[in-house]
Amino acid sequence: MTTVEMPPARSVPEHTGSRLTRALGGAVLVTWTLWLLWGLVLSPADVVQHESVRLFYLHVPMAIMSSVTFSITLIGSIMVLRNGSVFWDLMAGVAAEIGVMFLGLVIATGAVWGKPTWGTYWEWDPRLTTAALMFLVYLGYLVIRRLDMDPVVRARRAAVFGIVAFINVPLTRFSVQIWNSLHQETTISLTDTQMDGAQLTSYALGMLAMATFLAWLLVHRFRVAWLEHAMDESGLEKLIRDRRAEGAANEPGGVR
Amino acid sequence: MFWGYVIAGYGIAAVVLGTYVVSTLRRGRTLSRQLDPEQRRFLDD
Amino acid sequence: MTDDHALDLSPRTDGDAPAPTPGSRSRLTWLALGGIGLAIAFVLWQALTSATVFFYNVDEAVARQAELGDDTFRMQGTVVTEAVIAEDGSLEFEIGFDGERASIVHVGDEPSDLFEVGIAVVVQGRWEDTGSFRSEQILVKHSESYEAENQDRLTTDPSVDYDS
Repeated sequence: MTTVEMPPARSVPEHTGSRLTRALGGAVLVTWTLWLLWGLVLSPADVVQHESVRLFYLHVPMAIMSSVTFSITLIGSIMVLRNGSVFWDLMAGVAAEIGVMFLGLVIATGAVWGKPTWGTYWEWDPRLTTAALMFLVYLGYLVIRRLDMDPVVRARRAAVFGIVAFINVPLTRFSVQIWNSLHQETTISLTDTQMDGAQLTSYALGMLAMATFLAWLLVHRFRVAWLEHAMDESGLEKLIRDRRAEGAANEPGGVR
Repeated sequence: MFWGYVIAGYGIAAVVLGTYVVSTLRRGRTLSRQLDPEQRRFLDD
Repeated sequence: MTDDHALDLSPRTDGDAPAPTPGSRSRLTWLALGGIGLAIAFVLWQALTSATVFFYNVDEAVARQAELGDDTFRMQGTVVTEAVIAEDGSLEFEIGFDGERASIVHVGDEPSDLFEVGIAVVVQGRWEDTGSFRSEQILVKHSESYEAENQDRLTTDPSVDYDS
C-alpha cells in the first residue's frame, strides 16, 4: 500500500521576515555595535573639530547610501521602461523612499555639524543647495508614484522621472569641485584619503553598518511594497468578481 | 567640546530610522494577515 | 470566453455604489506636487540670488577690487593675524591667500569657536573706501583633512596651513 505524499503546505509567515533578513539583521547588530563603539567611544576627537568629527561617521555613510538607493531607482526605472517589470517598479519606489529618508538625515546631521564648525546651520552653498534640490526632486518622485491614475501609465511616468532625477546625484557629488564652496572637498577617495587611524576605522565601520542596514531595510520594505501591490490586485479582482456576479444577476434570465 | 551636537545628530538619526523601521515591520505584519499565503511573497526566501 | 457579457465595465451611476472618492486624495497629491514645485523654485531662487554665487579667493578679490565696488560677495582666505577687538566692538584681522592679504573689519556675529590663526574662513561683506573689507558674517571653512587630537607623533603645528 502506497501513501501519496502531499507536499508540505507552504508556510509563509505573517510578517516580512525570513532567513535572509535574520542573517542580515544579525550583521546589522554586529556592525552597528562596532561602529558606535569606535565612532563614539574608541576614536579620538579631531584636532580642529574636536568631538563634532564623530558626526562624519554618520553623515557621510548615509550620504553615500542615499546615492546607492537613487542608483537603484535609476536601474529600476530603466527596467520598467524596457519591460514594464512590476518588481523593478516597486523596487525603484522603495529605494527612493529609503533614499529620501537617508538624504533628509544627511541634511539634518550636516546642519548640526555646520553650527559648531562653520558657525551656521544652513548656507545657500552649492553642496547644501544641490542636496536640498535632490531631496525635493525625489520627494516629488514619491508623490508622482501616488498619483491617482492607471498603474501602468503611472509606472512609466514615474520611471521617466526617476531617470531624469538621477542627474542630481552626480551634480551634488561634484558640486564642491564645480563651484567655490564652503563645504570641504572629498576626504575619502581611492587615491587620496585624508584621515587615518581610529577615525578611518570608525568611518569604514560606519559604511559597513549603513550598507548592511540598507540591505536589511530594502528587503523588508520591498516585501511590504509587494504586499501593498498584492492587496491592490486582489482588491481589483474582487471588484471584478463582484461586478460579474452582479451583471449575471441582472441579466434577464440570469441566475437569481 | 561639541558633544551636544554629536548627541543631537545621532539622536535625530536614531529617532527617524527607528520610527521608519518599526512602521515598516508593523505594516508588513498587518498586510500579511490580510492576504492569502500564496500572495504574500514575491519570492519564497 | 463564456461570460464576458456579464462584465459591465461602464462607470457606476447609482448612488449606493461603494465608489471610492478619488477626488479628495487626488487633489491632495497634486497639491503636494505643487508645493514641492514651489519649494524647488524657492531653493533655486535663493541659490542664484544669494551672495554665495560671488565667491572669490583673497587674491581674486584684491585683483577685482575696483570692479567689485561696494557689491556684497564672499571672500575666502586663511586667517594670518590674531583678531583684535577694536574700540567700536568690531573684530579686526587679516586673511591671506596665494600671497595676497586683506584687512577685515568684522561687524557681525561672533564666528564659531574654531576661529583662530591658520584656519580658513569665508567672510561675507564688501570692500570699503578705506581699502579694508567690511564683513558681516564669518564662516569657518573646514578643510577635508582630519587628524586625531593628542597623537603621539611629532608634527609641526598642523592647524597652520597657508595654502588651503
